[in-house]
Amino acid sequence: MSSIFIVDMRFFITLLQILLPLCYFATIWAYAKGFFRNERVAEVIKRPLLGLTLLLHTIYIVARTLEYFHPPITSVFELFSLIAFTIGLAYVYIELRTKITSTGYFILMLPFFFQLFSSMFTKEIPEIPEILRSHLLGFHVTSALLGYAAITISAVYGFLYLMLYHDIKSSQFGVIYKRLPNLEMLERMSFTATVFGFILLTIAIIVGLIWLPRITEDISFTDPKLFGTIVIWLIYASGLTAKRLGGWQGRRMMVLSVFGFTLTIFSMTIINMFFSEFHRFY
Amino acid sequence: MNIFCLGINHRTAPIEIREKFWYSSDEIRAFLPVLKQHVAQECVLISTCNRTELYYLPQEQSVYDGSLWQMLASQKNASNVVREENFYSLSSLNAVKHLFNVASGIDSMVLGDVQILGQTKEAFTIAQQSRCTGIFLHRLFQTAFHVGKRVKTETEISEGAVSISYAAAELASKIFEDLSRHTALLIGAGETGKLTAKHLVSRNVKKLIIANRTRQRAEELSAQLGGLVIEFEDMAQQLQHVDIAISSVESHNYILSTHDLHRIMKLRGNKPLFIIDLGVPRNIDPSANAIDNVFLHDIDALNHIVDNNLAHRKAEIPKVQHIVMDELIQFNNWYNSLQVTPTIQELRERFESIRENELKKHRHHFPLETQSELDTLTKRIINKILHTPMVNLRNGTGELEEDETRRKVHIIRTLFGLDKKKTE
Repeated sequence: MSSIFIVDMRFFITLLQILLPLCYFATIWAYAKGFFRNERVAEVIKRPLLGLTLLLHTIYIVARTLEYFHPPITSVFELFSLIAFTIGLAYVYIELRTKITSTGYFILMLPFFFQLFSSMFTKEIPEIPEILRSHLLGFHVTSALLGYAAITISAVYGFLYLMLYHDIKSSQFGVIYKRLPNLEMLERMSFTATVFGFILLTIAIIVGLIWLPRITEDISFTDPKLFGTIVIWLIYASGLTAKRLGGWQGRRMMVLSVFGFTLTIFSMTIINMFFSEFHRFY
Repeated sequence: MNIFCLGINHRTAPIEIREKFWYSSDEIRAFLPVLKQHVAQECVLISTCNRTELYYLPQEQSVYDGSLWQMLASQKNASNVVREENFYSLSSLNAVKHLFNVASGIDSMVLGDVQILGQTKEAFTIAQQSRCTGIFLHRLFQTAFHVGKRVKTETEISEGAVSISYAAAELASKIFEDLSRHTALLIGAGETGKLTAKHLVSRNVKKLIIANRTRQRAEELSAQLGGLVIEFEDMAQQLQHVDIAISSVESHNYILSTHDLHRIMKLRGNKPLFIIDLGVPRNIDPSANAIDNVFLHDIDALNHIVDNNLAHRKAEIPKVQHIVMDELIQFNNWYNSLQVTPTIQELRERFESIRENELKKHRHHFPLETQSELDTLTKRIINKILHTPMVNLRNGTGELEEDETRRKVHIIRTLFGLDKKKTE
């Protein structure tokens, strides 16, 4: 009986794993139709679709955690799913708070890709190392995840700012000009997300540095992952300082936000998978 | 459908005639009772700068009264300037469709004009207060407002600026989140510049500063728009402190070079600066647009916005026409439902369904052998209740009493919720 339940549960998780990218795709399709075509049906269904997608995603995370006896943080692809979920939730908060729905297509594109890669490559890990059951790790991962979600959102708003900036400068008054919110608001949203992201990543780094020496003695501070993380942190720190003290604003800050995000993704994927020694526990 | 529309608008009469026909609210209030006394059972008069239209139901079953335009003309002492050709007269569904087109903004001089819906509502309110509306015009205008609302939410016919000054103000709102935190500088006192400043003021710009070569003209503008006047020579220095600048001066040389703007941007800590150059020849070196956070737009760019928006509005017309047709059909269905025979039929069905439902619920309280009698008895009660109102309704279908009959039918349909049942 219990084996049937396990088979069914695993089948259910696999089903959700396949369904989730499709749901995210349907959601961004509705947001895209609303943005580019202003289609009424799309405008009506986009929010319920997003709600349904996030509900399924919640069920997926809970089911996976219960079934495999650990939260989905043991591989970069499991983390991708959590990042997709966190960005989705953060976007819902932003949409409810600002009442602006026109940026949804661009923001939700990221959860779609994160979940797609997660669904394609996530594998069951037979044995979970004991170190992945630490409370400090949970704190480290949570703050890092929220931080990544925040800087992802910041980068998307930065990217939208740059698109609108370009269109206004070059007198192209098309759909981007018509539908996006104004430059000042995009900059403010990007900056707020950057500040959140920076604080959370700082916490993640500090917790990581406290926790890491406890679990391994082989830690090297020249490890590419650690080095990359510090560089990213320094870029964001210098950007925020330049804004505060040097009065940086507008395009420069947005370029910095997009650049910081690109480096972060590079650090999370390529460096983490191929060069780092300590950030892989499986 | 005995409804007429008599009017003049921007297509049939030049401004010299239209302005003679403009009725103020007070004039409409005074004129409507006169119309009701001599011409119409129900009437609404809409008067704006581009149209004056009378929607009315004549007192007698008749075609268009050819002398009515003379009555409108003499009321405004305009008999000597206006001719019959300046008027159009529409009847029945054509009049209804015309009102829907007006409310939707596709009949306006500026395609998609949103003001007309408010003006139509105001005209209807005045007519209502003057007791000149009945069930027909009430339903007609409510449907017209519904058309206007649907058009606003379901189409983009009113989207985007269609004047240069409005396009400039809209562009400012695409750069800055809240204009009440930003100061604007008006350089020169050209008409488009003034209109742009006016739009910015209406969007609550924090402060307006005016610099003009002739100070007196600047002060006149300041009196109109409420701004601070500075010397023209101090204009460049002021650019450090303002976020929006509108320039429309006559000058053969640039009044601001790229070098000037580089310097100004440094002084203002690279904060975004939006400059609208309305001058021809241009007032500001166009290459200054390459400077980071400087948004420089000339009159061609603004014209481009206006042309784009107008083209977009035109492309929305079929959607609007679809809504108008949809509502026209529904309105016509409502009108046709005011016939006596179908209403009697529906009323019978309503009573019969109540009877059947109640019998079904309580039939088991009665012995089996009395069931047939119970049926007959309840049917008889229903027939007796309905008999007198039905006879009275049928007796009122003579041609002269047609409108009165429709009123009665309307009341019955409302009281017994027959239209509601249909929509359900």
